[in-house]
Amino acid sequence: MSADKVRIRLEPLSVVVEVPRGEPLLSSISQLGFEFPCGGTGFCGGCKVRVLAGSVLVTEQDLSAFSPEELAHGWRLACQAHAETSIVLECVQWHMDVLTDDSGQSALKPGLRKHGLGIAIDLGTTTIAAQMLDLASGDILAVETDLNPQSAWGSDVMSRIRAALTGTDLTTIVRSKLQAIVLNLARGRELEIDEVVLVGNTVMHHLFAGLDVEPLSRAPFESALLGEQSFSPQELNWPLSSACRIRFLHCLGGFVGSDILAGIVAIGMPSADNLTALVDLGTNGEIAIGSRRGILCASTAAGPAFEAGTIRMGMRAVAGAISRVFYSNANMQATVIGDGEARGICGSGLVDAVAAGLQSGAILPSGRIANRTKIFPVCEPVVLDQADIRELQLAKAAIASGFRLLLKCLGASADDVQSIYLAGAFGNYVQIDSAIGIGLIEAPKTCIHAAGNAALRGAKALLLSKEESALPEIAHVSLAAEPNFQDEFVNCMTFPRMKHIPEAH
Amino acid sequence: MSQSRELYDAVLNGNAKKAHEATQAALEAGFAPMTLITESMVPAMDEVGRLFEAEEYFVPELLLAGRAMRSAMELLRPLLATAGEKMSVKVIIGTVKGDLHDIGKNIVASMLEGSGFEVVDLGSDVAPERFVAAVEEYKPQFVCMSALLTVTIPAMKTTIDALNAAGLRTRVKVLVGGAPVTPRYAREIGADGYSESASGAVTLVRRMVAIA
Repeated sequence: MSADKVRIRLEPLSVVVEVPRGEPLLSSISQLGFEFPCGGTGFCGGCKVRVLAGSVLVTEQDLSAFSPEELAHGWRLACQAHAETSIVLECVQWHMDVLTDDSGQSALKPGLRKHGLGIAIDLGTTTIAAQMLDLASGDILAVETDLNPQSAWGSDVMSRIRAALTGTDLTTIVRSKLQAIVLNLARGRELEIDEVVLVGNTVMHHLFAGLDVEPLSRAPFESALLGEQSFSPQELNWPLSSACRIRFLHCLGGFVGSDILAGIVAIGMPSADNLTALVDLGTNGEIAIGSRRGILCASTAAGPAFEAGTIRMGMRAVAGAISRVFYSNANMQATVIGDGEARGICGSGLVDAVAAGLQSGAILPSGRIANRTKIFPVCEPVVLDQADIRELQLAKAAIASGFRLLLKCLGASADDVQSIYLAGAFGNYVQIDSAIGIGLIEAPKTCIHAAGNAALRGAKALLLSKEESALPEIAHVSLAAEPNFQDEFVNCMTFPRMKHIPEAH
Repeated sequence: MSQSRELYDAVLNGNAKKAHEATQAALEAGFAPMTLITESMVPAMDEVGRLFEAEEYFVPELLLAGRAMRSAMELLRPLLATAGEKMSVKVIIGTVKGDLHDIGKNIVASMLEGSGFEVVDLGSDVAPERFVAAVEEYKPQFVCMSALLTVTIPAMKTTIDALNAAGLRTRVKVLVGGAPVTPRYAREIGADGYSESASGAVTLVRRMVAIA
């Protein structure tokens, strides 16, 4: 980067643009899909951003739009700002709806009743979802969602590990964010909180607890400190009653953490007679398959394609994103969020579009775009290029090969699996037909269900149950160390051959 | 005609069984083993590399072509040895310590082998001392290292340092690659070359052989 250029990174999408120093953000970040609803006049506030790194001067419009406290926290109107230094901005308009879970005690497995208040927190790599419950009734009293503030140091767990290893204190950063969330939930009832239960992957677990992440930075990616981490409010400097117990539940192995443990509980796998599966489709895909007789779990690096992260015209599921694509009567039909003009495509739209392309014959089972242009038009002006489809092939192969290998380790076949639950935001919105169509999930449609935020639901169940219920053994499998992994991964890269839909006339 | 069209097509289409059969048939028809490599397999792997660059081929096609090439090499290698013919340039290759991601490394190894170089594949998670021992044992001209994780690329530097400490650094050219590796990083750690693609690695080795 030359001296007269600065770099702007926009979170939570982690998109980056380099611009000449001093350039107005109005002209430089709209090309990344950032919107200025009132055209940049400084009135609507729809372009508000928070400066996470670097600095942005306060303007007159900022003084009228924000309180002194908000300004001190870095809030600015993007339309008035100039890029004088390299900056990282959190974009409010890109905040996705964080998936929570509205099931209270009645929907959860009834445990022995407790008293007082409890908080369940799903600490995700990208998002945080937290709920306060009445431990006696199981009622949800308050909900808070937020972005994980560590996102400023990268969107995936590997970049967090690297930041932590190079001296960034990600522990204090996440603990103070969670303290704010807990206080927002409690709203004056802090001293009534008896218990806080946190779930998350192994990296979130280690960073929250202040454990060394170095063992997670190299093969075989196994930390010796996977156990439950328990804290007093004093240790965390949280203003709660000294009797309150704060527990980050134990990890399952490798990168698979207590969010998957909670998900396993939420879908009832520990008491299932037949094989049941949980698939969490995120940047780090996680898979668990098992029954009351025993459970295996694994993680697999799917990359950000399911969030449309590496897709050229990819975007979050916000206004202007193609979220669904159908193929009928030899035509592609697309649904655009907000019904306006299409600006890009989100993860669920991507899977739909490729499934539709396979049906129409425009995309071959090898993944190659059939025509010579290497461009697959989805909905004017949104297209997929060959590299986009390759990204999806890699991501779906990571999941499908992981699933096949876990089945092999269990000595089972795909037919033995009675139910497959798809967890996480993507799993909630993807069309199951399309997931089957691209070979992401290899099972009959009737077996596949969306599970919502299973991690939060399971965390609540574990919070409400008074005694630790006996779980079957949950063993972690390191896929990369499995001798067949390479072959299976490559085998899963191609798409299934589709029956062409007869054209209706 | 010095090319076996059947062998060329079998490698290009990634058909290991046909490659084996075509090699057998060509040998019976009197083709010299080295001719089959230089006139049929090398051009086929070149075309595979070109199709990958042109986004026609993807990882599965590359690995299938590599498999087809190896099934032909199984027949040819013993014949080359008895004929006293040697492949002039030897390359050792592996992913660095801590890194188990070897698909990219396998593709580079196949492409190099298919381009007529002798390849010693050390596998994945190769410690610096194993690289050093392999350089002493095989006496290669090139050492290729791959890393896919930002957290494992420092092991490239550790390996180069180990080659230096063992006094072997000047005997080999060190080439590096992998998603997080940049030309700048390659320069910083004192590597002799960097490539962002498998076919680029072949071009790089060919060019450096021509210079050396």
